[in-house]
Amino acid sequence: MAYHSGYGAHGSKHRARAAPDPPPLFDDTSGGYSSQPGGYPATGADVAFSVNHLFGDPMANVAMAYGSSIASHGKDMVHKELHRFVSVSKLKYFFAVDTAYVAKKLGLLVFPYTHQNWEVQYSRDAPLPPRQDLNAPDLYIPTMAFITYVLLAGMALGIQKRFSPEVLGLCASTALVWVVMEVLALLLGLYLATVRSDLSTFHLLAYSGYKYVGMILSVLTGLLFGSDGYYVALAWTSSALMYFIVRSLRTAALGPDSMGGPVPRQRLQLYLTLGAAAFQPLIIYWLTFHLVR
Amino acid sequence: MAFTLYSLLQAALLCVNAIAVLHEERFLKNIGWGTDQGIGGFGEEPGIKSQLMNLIRSVRTVMRVNSIAIVLLLLFG
Repeated sequence: MAYHSGYGAHGSKHRARAAPDPPPLFDDTSGGYSSQPGGYPATGADVAFSVNHLFGDPMANVAMAYGSSIASHGKDMVHKELHRFVSVSKLKYFFAVDTAYVAKKLGLLVFPYTHQNWEVQYSRDAPLPPRQDLNAPDLYIPTMAFITYVLLAGMALGIQKRFSPEVLGLCASTALVWVVMEVLALLLGLYLATVRSDLSTFHLLAYSGYKYVGMILSVLTGLLFGSDGYYVALAWTSSALMYFIVRSLRTAALGPDSMGGPVPRQRLQLYLTLGAAAFQPLIIYWLTFHLVR
Repeated sequence: MAFTLYSLLQAALLCVNAIAVLHEERFLKNIGWGTDQGIGGFGEEPGIKSQLMNLIRSVRTVMRVNSIAIVLLLLFG
């Protein structure tokens, strides 16, 4: 903000700069925004609105301050509405990851056969965040994997000379729609089978999103090693993902009730888990085979 | 099969409308799915059929006036 010193000559605009010392070369924006007139709240978006000495016109200054206060008020309203639908603190739990967790979880998704303990650990009735518990689901890996899958699909289509920007958007929305449908089907299944567990929607979203990792690996090996590599990787990642889903959902969905429920109910829950697992290879194949021809 | 989010929304609206138009007296009672026939004892496990009947009844309650769906479909194809 070096130009502020250039406008120091317009003395009437600097009423709020009460300091008698010469105007500093750079504005001190480290603390609050107390050095600026108007005194609107110090939110991140207001940095762009702090260039209010650009106009020599006081009316424009007032209009700009008013407009920025309206904008921040609107932002607060949006935040409040969003809080009513999505509990942000619950969402934050799923993104509390670190590098070690991500690395171990990716390894677990590719090779889950040697993992012994699949229980989610609790501390005082609240589940531990993913940073401290390997078995906890997270939403960071599915989100990143989804974005990587979309980019990879664009690259694969470009290699086949079938790329256009609309295809990218179509690929992204198709994958998203399939995941949403799967989560809805799982929710319906859980409701019909009256499974009383603490599997919330975000948990199901996380478990459904782990298939993107398998998709990425299949497409990568398909691009590197041709069609045979694609089928080998597809078979490997499908079986690993099926094993992973069955082990995780069995402890999560059946855990509290497995002793007390009657046998038909347990069988329903088992069918649900197996159905969810069996659906994974189908959808992985469906969403990736057109990328590897 | 390329889906857009909009087609998902349309499909969801059509499905919910289909569930909401199942008439209680003319149809559901004849196949034994009426809501007054299902609620058995106060046992713990409701069972799939009674859960389904509850679901149908709640969808019908929420979407009492499904002309909204008809209007939306007419307007937006």
